[in-house]
Amino acid sequence: MTAIIQAAALVKRYGDFQAVDGVDFSVEAGEFFGLLGPNGAGKTSTIKMISCVQPVTGGTLHVAGMDVGSHDRQVKAMLGVVPQDDNLDQDLTVRQNLEVYARYFEIPKAVARERVADGLELMQLAEKADEKIDALSGGMKRRLVIARALVNDPRILILDEPTTGLDPQARHLVWRKLRLLRERGVTILLTTHYMDEAEYLCDRLIIMDHGRALAEGHPRELIARHVGRDVLEMRLSVDENERVVEALRPRLGEGGRIEQIEDVAYAYGVTDEHRRLAEGLIDDPYRVLFRRANLEDVFLTLTGRGLVE
Amino acid sequence: MSIVSPPPSRTVRPARRSSSVIPWLGIAMPGPRSYRVWQRNRDVFFRLWKAESLPPTIEPLVTLLGLGLGLGGYVSLGGDQEYVQFLAPGMLMVFPMFAAMFEALFGSYFRMDQHGTYAAIYATPVRPEEIVLGDIAWAATRMALNTAMVLLILLALTPWMGLIQSPWVVLTIPVGFLVGLLMSGLAIAFTSVARSLSQLSYFFSIFVLPMFWFSGGFFPTDQLPAWATKMAAIFPLYHAVAVSRALTTGVFEWGILGNLLWLVVVTPPALWLGIWAMRRRIIQG
Repeated sequence: MTAIIQAAALVKRYGDFQAVDGVDFSVEAGEFFGLLGPNGAGKTSTIKMISCVQPVTGGTLHVAGMDVGSHDRQVKAMLGVVPQDDNLDQDLTVRQNLEVYARYFEIPKAVARERVADGLELMQLAEKADEKIDALSGGMKRRLVIARALVNDPRILILDEPTTGLDPQARHLVWRKLRLLRERGVTILLTTHYMDEAEYLCDRLIIMDHGRALAEGHPRELIARHVGRDVLEMRLSVDENERVVEALRPRLGEGGRIEQIEDVAYAYGVTDEHRRLAEGLIDDPYRVLFRRANLEDVFLTLTGRGLVE
Repeated sequence: MSIVSPPPSRTVRPARRSSSVIPWLGIAMPGPRSYRVWQRNRDVFFRLWKAESLPPTIEPLVTLLGLGLGLGGYVSLGGDQEYVQFLAPGMLMVFPMFAAMFEALFGSYFRMDQHGTYAAIYATPVRPEEIVLGDIAWAATRMALNTAMVLLILLALTPWMGLIQSPWVVLTIPVGFLVGLLMSGLAIAFTSVARSLSQLSYFFSIFVLPMFWFSGGFFPTDQLPAWATKMAAIFPLYHAVAVSRALTTGVFEWGILGNLLWLVVVTPPALWLGIWAMRRRIIQG
């Protein structure tokens, strides 16, 4: 396996603000790689440097072995970029959006026509080909932006929060399309602040916060490493809080821990025994939830905060 | 693969400039991909061309009839020239220039800010310099197209009004393109620093409107006070109208070469300014 994206000590500064503060990671060809973190973690800045629309402030960044600063044009030619905001061309039809975009890559007309048809088919937009952009739903626009990003047959597809603002159905459709693309061998780099999205899609990810990478690995492996298998999630009133936490804490095994965000307490490294104890102390069973740990718990453990604020 | 701290040799370096930027110009030389951006604008225009081509024909027509025939009855210019004949050369430049200004101010503002068109193109191998040049070239094309449309109207009216006296008048179309490049370069530089749509109207009030009146399109500027005559000569439109007047009437004086030279010399810096300024805005994101 060879690294198709290689970042070392990567830094991005805007004036005095350090958006990315020395991040190292590499993405292998064919991998589905995620950058997970809350807003302001430095995810978007990172992918803006990879897609050569923001200069690198420090460190090194190579895409397919090329430095992004000196080979911007070559790098851009092999990327498909799906930005956070749908910047589709409002003045053109669905099909024209893709055809005009193909020209920016100097793709011959005949090839472009074929790719546009394939892209519309793949993203289930073929029957909307001659519609205006206004006539599309949010989910359709997102899929069209993805189809647009595929028009140059990119080696790497980069998506910045691709499902933010979509309803659950539209979101699942986008997810299925992305998995399909991964199976076809496209390397995918995605940013998200949805832990379920990262868990469902990514082969590997880094968790980012305040411009730094906190952890890196496969989602399941990260969960196992940082929080264990199960979590006890309890919504506690003020007077319950102390009683429950005090009762649980000494009974937690090694690596067991309690984190609190406002009125919710999360106990990690727990077993069925702890669940019974908590249920005995909290009169309302709906406020005690015993569940499998997820990436949100990893983030909470690493930072003491939730992912979505 | 690891997230351990980097080896010491990879320390923080200052921001690098893209290697293609020419240091003393501050921009890269725009290449043939500018044409792709021009094509995009052309395609949009031809989707809407019916709606877009009515105003450029109506404005000069109304002006010719209203000012030329109405006000013209009270105006006497030395010789046997009618006022409506005096107006005609200005019509070939003044109103077409408005089309270029709308493109380079409002059109570009929407593409830059509201619609994210520039950002979308910037993610492709098209360079920001090429985006801006493509946009400026399109605005200039709009001006040349409108000059051609006005010319058709003037030609149609010529049997009654004697508006066109020389076949050289066809050269007003390329002159329109040149003036369009110059003016759009300046306008797009203004657009690049605009923070809201309403700020764009400053460019109209402060620059375009005075130029509109003092360009020599509506009255000869040599009857103004001396300072105002001198001031008029800083307006690109003043030189454009002078050239257009010579091409329309077939009366060439040596001074016309000076006007043409002025346009030719000022256009490259105006283009540079537009590209340099808007490039900055695009890169800032």
